Amino acid sequence: MSDPHLQWHPIASSSDLIPRHVFHAQLLGQEMAVWRADDEYVNVWENRCLHRGVRLSIGINDGVELKCQYHGWRYSNRSANCTYIPAHPADAPARTVCNRRFPVKEQFGLIWTALEDGGPFDWSERVLQGFETLRPLPINAPADMIISALGVADIPDSAEISWSQLQAEVKTGAVVLKGSGQFGLIFFVQPVDTARSVIRGLAKGIGENTTRHLRHLNTVLTNLRSQIETDAASKPAEAPIEPTYTRVDAELATMPDRGKAAADGTRVRVLSKTPTATDIMRFELAALEGDLPTGQAGAHIDVHLPNGLTRQYSLTNGPGETSNYVIGVKRELESKGGSECLHDVVREGDVLSVSVPRNNYPLRRDAIRSVFVAGGIGITPLIAMAKTLDAQRLDYELHYFVRADDHIAFRDQIDMLTGRVVIHTGLSPDDTSAAFEKIYAGFEAANHTYICGPGPMLDAARSAASRAGWPDDAVHFEYFKNTTDIDDSSSFEIALARSGQTLTVNAGETILQVLQSNKIAIASSCCQGACGTCKVAVIEGEVDHQDVHLTEAEKQSNAYVMTCVSRAKSGRLVLDI
Amino acid sequence: MKLYDYELSGNCYKIRLFLSILGVEHALVPVDFYPGNEHKTESFLAVNPLGQLPVLEDDAFKIRDAQAILTYLAAKYDRSGQWYPTGRPERLGKVNEWLAFADLITGTASAARLHDGLCYTEIDVEKARHGAHRLFRIMDEHLWFSEREGRNWLVQGAVPTIAEIACFPYTMLSAEGGIPLQDYPAIRRWTDRVKRIPGFIVMPGIFPAGPSYSPVS
Repeated sequence: MSDPHLQWHPIASSSDLIPRHVFHAQLLGQEMAVWRADDEYVNVWENRCLHRGVRLSIGINDGVELKCQYHGWRYSNRSANCTYIPAHPADAPARTVCNRRFPVKEQFGLIWTALEDGGPFDWSERVLQGFETLRPLPINAPADMIISALGVADIPDSAEISWSQLQAEVKTGAVVLKGSGQFGLIFFVQPVDTARSVIRGLAKGIGENTTRHLRHLNTVLTNLRSQIETDAASKPAEAPIEPTYTRVDAELATMPDRGKAAADGTRVRVLSKTPTATDIMRFELAALEGDLPTGQAGAHIDVHLPNGLTRQYSLTNGPGETSNYVIGVKRELESKGGSECLHDVVREGDVLSVSVPRNNYPLRRDAIRSVFVAGGIGITPLIAMAKTLDAQRLDYELHYFVRADDHIAFRDQIDMLTGRVVIHTGLSPDDTSAAFEKIYAGFEAANHTYICGPGPMLDAARSAASRAGWPDDAVHFEYFKNTTDIDDSSSFEIALARSGQTLTVNAGETILQVLQSNKIAIASSCCQGACGTCKVAVIEGEVDHQDVHLTEAEKQSNAYVMTCVSRAKSGRLVLDI
Repeated sequence: MKLYDYELSGNCYKIRLFLSILGVEHALVPVDFYPGNEHKTESFLAVNPLGQLPVLEDDAFKIRDAQAILTYLAAKYDRSGQWYPTGRPERLGKVNEWLAFADLITGTASAARLHDGLCYTEIDVEKARHGAHRLFRIMDEHLWFSEREGRNWLVQGAVPTIAEIACFPYTMLSAEGGIPLQDYPAIRRWTDRVKRIPGFIVMPGIFPAGPSYSPVS
């Protein structure tokens, strides 16, 4: 008999997975949390939160994410990526915090999984057409004992059907009963543990009076269960199977994804390319195979273009929108070839390489008031954020500043938002500033604002918020690009505290380049001091900040350096790498 | 209105839950059941000679026994008449059938929980667990066929009754007595529905449900 770990087993009925429910399954000792998302996708996960090991089967299925009851860690539909850790509201969870997933198939009204790669699926569609799912029956007995009993069981006739004339055939993990008539039975036996199983039956030919037949067969199986359990109780019981649990690195579970080199990217196909506003193109990018890593609200991806350039674009995806990445690309008048290439060269069906989503612009979900301020194409990360708060039924306001009505991008998505959306059209710079004054009047504790847009607008919004008393740590922003002139004339030493090396950064080189040429893995993305990916902690030394990612307070604290543009004022920087 | 109450008691929680659903104002009188054993003191025996919680005092009227209190509250304060349908003999009979079932759950699942959680070591816990599994098998089968026929609740009909309130607490808390609900998927789905009844409140060991599914039209 082949190894049961390598086979597909039914672990639930399709009808067990009602919307917003988490089903508790077990196969060969391994407990599983099984849940159907609102998009009908069935997730089969290890029944254990990566944080403290609490069963996810008592968690909350909100339709797009599964939330642990204990400390509220959230895991995304499909990818099982952790999307939010309430104890670290200001940080993005590391991309590598990902629950263990088991393969899944939904066939013949049953949910199937395998502990390891299940291999080819043995039950062809032809054999199992037109079957009705019986009520599953848990039995406290080993699976092989149940299969033997089913193989010789007498099934009493019901009014219209002569079940007793069926001939039983014992197969691997199942008993098939066939006869000359239109009806038949298959009993799959799910090995829950050494001494526990579930009979998952299918019956053919019970289209008339279905419920009556289901009741009859349920009674038959219930009576059989009594006999089998009596027999099983008289035999010595085997010890329960010790399940294997995936461990998560303690550091990974608590630390945000800073300074670690990102894994290789994914290849995606351009599923659609459609104009969404004047000069703005919407791209839908789908995985060539498997699932895409889930981007959290505020995340961006690097898109590697056919002309060799790399550009960063924010994801507009909300929770549960995991089957593709949706980005918006504005044609830049002074394009150096990035937006031009996407607008003019890239076509539907093309294959592009993209990085995993990185989130240097995380959204807090513990705010009392969240204010989103977008200018132009800066709307994209804020759409993802607004959708995220919508999914959790949290309140927010979104102010979208555009030149004219035909510049409103992603109108369909904005219309679906349930928060307060205000579109400010065609305001002069003075009127825009006046609008900011109004928006930011009255700061209170646990208010947060997220600003994304062109540099001058972002500066004006930040200064309005600051004048109204909004502290730095309540004002979150993301610049498209860094327009400051970078002065790279200094030369200095960097000491790497963890690896004990000292390196020299000469004029004309960046810290990032020196690190990378010395084979020190460090993630980077925009290389102009805007996105925040290459941020590194500073232990000692004074930083010459030239980026637009850090806040003024962060810059003054000297705690971090953006290694792609910033340098040292002192002769030496000690870095926490 | 005054409820003699112990926070960790599923029977007291039944009453708190139902009062919350009905929106009836009340005061709680905490009784130190464990470890204080206050329910066996002279002063409490004067309130209930059986030495059991909960007890409800509504002005001069005093009533003991969780199921009895539910019937009283429903008959007096539920203007809709849905929770204890006194005017509909079949439904009423079935509700009472499940109230008796709830007493059986208390005698088994709650007993196992007292053994595991509150040091009632004299209880035969294996017998209690076995008894609870027998009941849950019956309840799961009933709920599975009910679901198939489009019914959500223990008693046939479109709305929940006090049968739900009576059976829910010790069913939901059964894992604390070493009786997992894993083998009773229809019961687990029913507990989700109970948690979504407007006015639902929690107690230690009972968690809230998430938002229900409302498809976008």
